[in-house]
Amino acid sequence: MSADRPAIARPAGKNALIGERTPLIDGAEKVSGVAKYPADLDATGALVGRIYRSPYGHAEIINLDVEAARKIPGVVAIVTGDDCDVTYGILPVAQNEYPLARGKVRYRGEPVAAVAAIDEATAEAALRAIVMEVNELPIYDRSEDSRAPGAALLHDDKPDNLERSVHTEFGDVATEFANADIVREAVHDCAEVTQMHMDPHAGIAEYDVERHRLLLQSATQVPYYVHLMVAQCMKMDKSSIRVIKPFIGGGFGARTETLNYELVLCLLARAAKGKVRIKLSREETFFTHRGRPRTKINMKIGMKKDGRFTACECTVEQSGGGYGGYGIVTILYAGALLNAIYDIPAVKYDGYRVYTNTPPCGAMRGHGTVDVRHAFETLLDKMAEELGIDALELRRRNFLQTPTTTINGIKVTSYGFPDCIDWAEEASGWKKRHGQLPYGKGLGIACSHYVSGAAKPVHWTGEPHATVNLKLDYDAGVTVLTGAADIGQGSSTILAQVVGEVLGLGLNRITVIANDSRITPKDNGSYSSRVTFMVGNAALEAAQNLQKLLIEAAARKMEAKPEDIECLGEIYRVAAKQGVEMSYEDVVREALVDTGTITVKGNFTVPREYQGGKFHGAAVGPSMAYSYAALAVEVDVDEITGRVNIENIWVAHDCGYALNPLAVEGQIQGAVWMGLGQAVSEENRYFKGLLVGPNVLDYRVPTIKDSPHIEVKIVESNDPNGPFGAKEASEGALAAVLPAVANAVYDAIGIRVDDMPLTPERIVDAMVKHERDTKAQRQAAQ
Amino acid sequence: MEYMPPFEVLKPSTIDEAVALHGQTPEARFLAGGTDIIPNIRRGIVAPGALIELSGIAEMQEITQTEDGGLNIGAGVTLAQLETDPRIAAAYPAIAKAASEVAANSHRNVGTLGGNLCLDTRCVYYNQSEWWRSSNDYCLKHRGEICHVAPKSKRCFAAFSGDVAPTLMIMDATVDLAGPNGRRTIALPDLYQADGAAHLLIGKDEILTAVTLPPNDGWATGYAKVRVRVSIDFPLAGIAIALKRDGEKLKAIKIAVTGLDSQPITLAGADALANHPFDDALLQSLEGLLPKQIQPMTSTLTPPGYRRRVSGNLIKALAKELFATAG
Repeated sequence: MSADRPAIARPAGKNALIGERTPLIDGAEKVSGVAKYPADLDATGALVGRIYRSPYGHAEIINLDVEAARKIPGVVAIVTGDDCDVTYGILPVAQNEYPLARGKVRYRGEPVAAVAAIDEATAEAALRAIVMEVNELPIYDRSEDSRAPGAALLHDDKPDNLERSVHTEFGDVATEFANADIVREAVHDCAEVTQMHMDPHAGIAEYDVERHRLLLQSATQVPYYVHLMVAQCMKMDKSSIRVIKPFIGGGFGARTETLNYELVLCLLARAAKGKVRIKLSREETFFTHRGRPRTKINMKIGMKKDGRFTACECTVEQSGGGYGGYGIVTILYAGALLNAIYDIPAVKYDGYRVYTNTPPCGAMRGHGTVDVRHAFETLLDKMAEELGIDALELRRRNFLQTPTTTINGIKVTSYGFPDCIDWAEEASGWKKRHGQLPYGKGLGIACSHYVSGAAKPVHWTGEPHATVNLKLDYDAGVTVLTGAADIGQGSSTILAQVVGEVLGLGLNRITVIANDSRITPKDNGSYSSRVTFMVGNAALEAAQNLQKLLIEAAARKMEAKPEDIECLGEIYRVAAKQGVEMSYEDVVREALVDTGTITVKGNFTVPREYQGGKFHGAAVGPSMAYSYAALAVEVDVDEITGRVNIENIWVAHDCGYALNPLAVEGQIQGAVWMGLGQAVSEENRYFKGLLVGPNVLDYRVPTIKDSPHIEVKIVESNDPNGPFGAKEASEGALAAVLPAVANAVYDAIGIRVDDMPLTPERIVDAMVKHERDTKAQRQAAQ
Repeated sequence: MEYMPPFEVLKPSTIDEAVALHGQTPEARFLAGGTDIIPNIRRGIVAPGALIELSGIAEMQEITQTEDGGLNIGAGVTLAQLETDPRIAAAYPAIAKAASEVAANSHRNVGTLGGNLCLDTRCVYYNQSEWWRSSNDYCLKHRGEICHVAPKSKRCFAAFSGDVAPTLMIMDATVDLAGPNGRRTIALPDLYQADGAAHLLIGKDEILTAVTLPPNDGWATGYAKVRVRVSIDFPLAGIAIALKRDGEKLKAIKIAVTGLDSQPITLAGADALANHPFDDALLQSLEGLLPKQIQPMTSTLTPPGYRRRVSGNLIKALAKELFATAG
């Protein structure tokens, strides 16, 4: 812990949990292999569920014959599109997907039917016996093809295959460009990337045919949203459904919406009148996708000679896949977060979310912002060079003056960004090394930011954004009940720390029970980096409510006023009277007199003024707090192979206050590492709509051996609204990785490569082109 | 998970027993480390009723000195052993290097020399699930009629991707085979042919039992590999070079490549460059050996043009490096 971090105010002798490097409370189960992930759950008596997927990329279904499959001995149930005529989707305004295709298929790998059978071999045989007749339609892998005039429509109600276009302008863009001394533009094409969870998707569902109840356990970040969609598609009462989230191997935004296999699983369990398990293969997990769309960007920036921004104009086109999913939110985020990091007087944004015959994209980590940030930060680097201004100095000249409200209605209340830049500059040796390293070696810096929880929930119910319940009983243990999904990010540990800190108790007295819809209060889920901020605040309030009861009990017993009671955790004492004290257990005993088991609650709601402006699309982008990051990368570009070897990374991240510095470091390293994959090797490619290489060998996600040293600096700006000052810690740094690598590659070999990823072949192609161009220029000059 | 069909595992303890077992179960496949065949079974590419596991055959697990001072390496020796054996490191550093760059350490701990030499050829249209391949009408290598890489071709262009083979070829290694008709020894290049669908000239009932290396009489050897992730990937191209230096002249050179065609290839014409001054012109000539002798195709997600260009770069760089260190 650095010496300069602000101290949490607590009386001498009180146990400290917040701010301490705390191993995750469920870490032992994970590293010892005891933890049960969805595929590990007790499958006694469960049938094998398998999905029949469309081999066609775009087609009308003429006939689907499952009768031969149904007759195979051991096949217990088969479901098709006929078994569910209700669409689903994460956004109430864009639900256009059926769990199993009806009438039409829109991407290769789309679920069409599903089988429950007594074993894998039988299920496999049944899949092979299913026959689908279709009328094939043109397949569009790319947005430029599906938007072309005359292209067949994926969805009849969406002309030009446009899911949503967004047009916003804040400030006077034309005037501000006219005021600029230089205006520069760049075009980028960033490949589609996908999450690579530790575990392929899996789940188990049990239908109780006597009581018509359903239990679902699956790999999700959002058990509440899954609950809603299961009820909708099954046409069941929500109270007849129970959703449990077991341990899962990461989320990263793919599991931030209900996935088709979860609904198929429930349909199968009901049809089979029992228990069914589905374990998707890695390939099927790829076809389920919900990753980051391929994104084309046209970025234009205006600057004064002194490096001050005057205006920014950005056009984004995303190849979003066959269905809506989160698409509208993604295309809105891409524009909204052009703001809230630098002071830009005028910003115009045109976004196009386009349907393509590919697996639907989703809310991948850094939702919507990553590729756009790449475009902005690399163009900034080019313009800094052209103006002869150090790229970090240029950024400093454009800092926000906080607290502030941006031109698009976003409130920025804490801003540790300047400290992030200072540290990255110092740690990487920027001043002495940038532009000074030998050919092939380079240093690049870029910056990024992210929300700490979307201020508007997906479903506007009027309920608080977060609720936490605490139970205190005769054993003096405090049970934290939360619907917040710990997906590996450590949210359960954070809640235990928050509650323990307030009560002054050690983790030995605290148990977290999460994600059982029968037991735990509703939570919107783990997305948009909302949990620490929102659920943390709810836990803080709950713990304060419980402490109040304990203090009142102690005051009663010790015949003092509540305001004179000092809580040290295991000891409660009367502050003014030496030696008058009670043990925590005695206080609990007193508190339970007459009332019995104590249950308290804490809520958190984002105040209206933080929920954004009134324009169309204003709901996406606003948050109560923003994280900031500055990231320096040192690369070695191999002249022979074009490989970009990442040698070192320095990353400073303003997370407000690190409730658990150990977990914060891990989250930042994970974000950086994920960004690195996108920067140098990861890429989804399609062949007539068929994802080529849907496996961990062809999809080149870095392994731990490919990871460089990542040095993390936690910057603490103490957000006024975060729990103990905390804000987001696991997405903000990701977006800085791509441009930092590209800027470093330029520093190394003097060539700008604007597209992503910077694979060896892209680098070699760029080197060959550069050599050719240089030669041509030389000849022209002679 | 992808479905794993059932199979029986047979465990012979001698080579003769293994050959006899195969005679009784002709559909069986031989199993060494399994890092190649097991994924292919899961993907429905092969469906043997039985696997004859070779790891219990003691004589296939040994490295012994030959009478002439060379080495005889059992085919069951793991890649991890090749990587660390001091005799190999001393006399044949290219082999140790190639072995050390195969896949990841967990693969190398079980993957064997024989397995790496008999690796199935690879193609992005082939190393896919049954569902994927059937959705794409299969391919010339397996069940289909068209090579998606070269639709007009009668030949399959799946690439041989073993790292170790070229490092053995530059040392003039021979391989020992055992089958129902007895034992035979052939030069390593004779194990292969230029057809991705049938690249191994070894009977289904034959076992590759050992590799014999003549003593290294003064060759400086090296191996260089191109891949995107250095942690795990198959070679996009792999270059093995053995050279001898005579002052400022190249005394002799041998070059073999992998990953660029359906078989590992010893580049012809290298001997004509013996006794030339080691200068830029020579390096250009070395690179010039490549284009007519290799035929990388779009069998990987990385385009062939890249693989061709970078192979040339690598030959020059590795030759320079070896020349500098050669005595």
